[in-house]
Amino acid sequence: MKNTFNILATIILVLSLSATVCAEGWDVPASVKKKQNPYELTKRNISSGKKIFQTTCKSCHGDPGKGNMLPLQPPPTDLGSQNFLVQTDGEIFHKIRTGKGAMPTFEKTLSDESKWMVIAYLRSLDKMKREAVVTKAVVNPEVTDVKIDIDVDSEHKKLIAELTGLKKDGKRVGLEGIELSFLVKRAFGQLDISGEEAYTNEKGQLIVQFPTDLPGDREGQANLLVKITDEDNYGPIEEKRVVSIAVPTNPKNILSERAMWGTRANAPIWIIATYVLGVIGIWGVIFLILFQLFQLSKMRVKSK
Amino acid sequence: MNDNTKPKETTLSFEKIKQDVLRPMQTHRGLELWIVFLIAVIAVCGWAYYVQLRDGLGVTGMRDYVSWGLYIANFVFFVAVSLVGMLISSILGLLKVDWIAPISRIAEIIAVAFVAVAGLVIVLDMGRPDRLLNVFIHGRFQSPILWDVTVVTTYLVISLLLLILPMIPDLAICKKEMTNASPLLKKVYSILSFGYTNTPQQHKHLHRMVRTLMVLIVPVGLAIHTVTSWLFAATLRNGWDTTIFGPYFVAGAFVAGAAGLVIAMYFFRVNYKLQDYLTDLHFDKMGKLMVAVCLVYIYFNVNEFLVPGYKMKSGDNTHLKELFLGSWAIMFWASQLLGNIIPVILMVNKRFRKPLPLMIISLFVLASAWFKRYVIVIPTMLHPHLPIQNVPDNFKHYFPTPIEIAIIVLSFALALLIMTVLAKIFPVVPICEIAEKEGIDYKIED
Ligand code: HEC
Repeated sequence: MKNTFNILATIILVLSLSATVCAEGWDVPASVKKKQNPYELTKRNISSGKKIFQTTCKSCHGDPGKGNMLPLQPPPTDLGSQNFLVQTDGEIFHKIRTGKGAMPTFEKTLSDESKWMVIAYLRSLDKMKREAVVTKAVVNPEVTDVKIDIDVDSEHKKLIAELTGLKKDGKRVGLEGIELSFLVKRAFGQLDISGEEAYTNEKGQLIVQFPTDLPGDREGQANLLVKITDEDNYGPIEEKRVVSIAVPTNPKNILSERAMWGTRANAPIWIIATYVLGVIGIWGVIFLILFQLFQLSKMRVKSK
Repeated sequence: MNDNTKPKETTLSFEKIKQDVLRPMQTHRGLELWIVFLIAVIAVCGWAYYVQLRDGLGVTGMRDYVSWGLYIANFVFFVAVSLVGMLISSILGLLKVDWIAPISRIAEIIAVAFVAVAGLVIVLDMGRPDRLLNVFIHGRFQSPILWDVTVVTTYLVISLLLLILPMIPDLAICKKEMTNASPLLKKVYSILSFGYTNTPQQHKHLHRMVRTLMVLIVPVGLAIHTVTSWLFAATLRNGWDTTIFGPYFVAGAFVAGAAGLVIAMYFFRVNYKLQDYLTDLHFDKMGKLMVAVCLVYIYFNVNEFLVPGYKMKSGDNTHLKELFLGSWAIMFWASQLLGNIIPVILMVNKRFRKPLPLMIISLFVLASAWFKRYVIVIPTMLHPHLPIQNVPDNFKHYFPTPIEIAIIVLSFALALLIMTVLAKIFPVVPICEIAEKEGIDYKIED
């Protein structure tokens, strides 16, 4: 009886405690609320914010505006919704920094700059503030037939990419301020060699240093892929190229050594020797006995 | 069946031994009916195999997870039983244990029949038996499969030689005495007796050959079952990944083989009326031998299960709990109790080493040995290291289909048929050897 009471009391206590935890709202100090994003809403900041969002936040919050977040309790807010975006920069910053419940704290795991970048990205989705983005970004002319051309400076191991588009009047112009990704194919996945600031200049060009120690195949070839990082810009545009500026290497095929896992031709010597000698030894004796067996009848002839 | 258990005080003469042994080979209605029955069983079950060949292994219960089912369990069982040849005629023979003289040929017949069918069971397990040759063409020296194929064939050949060579004097007698045998059979006797006339020189020569074979079969016999165990132990799977699997299998094989031999002895004693040769003494000795091998096997079982069971590593954990308390518990404990522990308790008692009780105990031991192999093969396949997920429901369980069971019956019928035919054309008890043991002089004419 007493036990039941104890159990009941514990349950009630736990329930009421967790209820208070749930009910507890975000408690954001007024001073923090006033803070403003020190970074401008440039295309560059927005796209780096988007990258961070996609690697660290999307797993729970889903795509902004799509409402496809993880079904947690309480649910992770849709960070693209207008209801959420009414909050000030400072408020959002504080929430990312402190976290609450299932929302982890990013105080140490994201630098302040990165946090602001994410906020810049979220802001770019804000209907009330969108104007700000457009005015602050580089404006490229309306173009069609956007493409990337790659040039290789073998001597200095430099890659020059040029992003151009066709204007209405038929002239090809460089597109400025667009982030490009330089990817080299490795055994598993792709290595990003773009570096920090991979944005095209006013001519639409971007020069990237190819790593001097990157191993290629026997001829020093490597598969390069250059693409526009954010497909939202001009859609999925990419260019592939085999470049011969990697370090020539003779890749070692682990199947070509003698090993237990190898092919028959590459069986370890000791195992071939054991098998062959064993078979020869045992079957040698068997044949010897068969031979002796036929001598048995000869002995009869002799004994007669 | 009239089982004559009272010891007879008849003095054996060479003529009497000859007659006693050769009579059942000449006229035996029951034996012929039995052969017809076995052929009928083989024909019916052969149809099941035809279905499997036609439709593929999908007709079995085996799926992606349990890819070794009844067939492989049965293969291990057959290899195990065949090891009795090495135990009786070779190990005990080399140790000059003389009571084995009348039973060693039966042991050798079992060895030949079971190892031959064991090899066949592997072929029956193949969805594309036409690709069998690939094992030899592309076989890797690193793979226990290649060693297994090699060792099974070698054991079969040596066992055949160990059956025929010691039988040469008897075959010389058959050639002379079996006057109403078919011409083909006479030809067989004449060829296989190799002109033996029991000259001292021939006698010595023959014995030397037999002794060499007896020595030779010891490593091959150990190898055949050790390699069979390596088919399992060379993989990193729960329940198979153990260092004692080789000796564990060999110990288990001696139990199964000894039980098989006792059953065969009993049926030859009764049906061939060989009470004067397969005497109570032989059953008594076999009973004691079985106690010994069972104890060794129990010892190995304790090691095999207590050591991992004490640690309960993750992986082993699921596997062992399923064996001890889960869905395999009945089969596991039944095979341990009925196949090992209870038989030992009974057989230490002299009364249970009489022919009939010993035969009945052996039936339990043999059946348990078969189920023991089943419990070794299938549960491990159902307990992989990564959980079984997102697969059709019938991948998660295994139960043999009627086709599989029919093919297993086929393998047993085939083994029994081989034994029966061998026992029909060859004397099951060595005539000359017994005469020698009894100190009776005999002559073999050409
Ligand atoms: C492990 C899942 C998870 C991850 C990862 C995550 N969040 Fe959250 N987030 C949540 C949950 C759950 C809530 C709701 C918490 C609550 O209301 O108690 C939340 C709430 C928030 C809020 C407050 C929303 C509001 O309604 O005021 C913001 C802002 C936020 N997250 C931003 C981010 C950002 C930016 C990132 C990436 C840097 C991120 N979150 C990563 C789970 C996550």
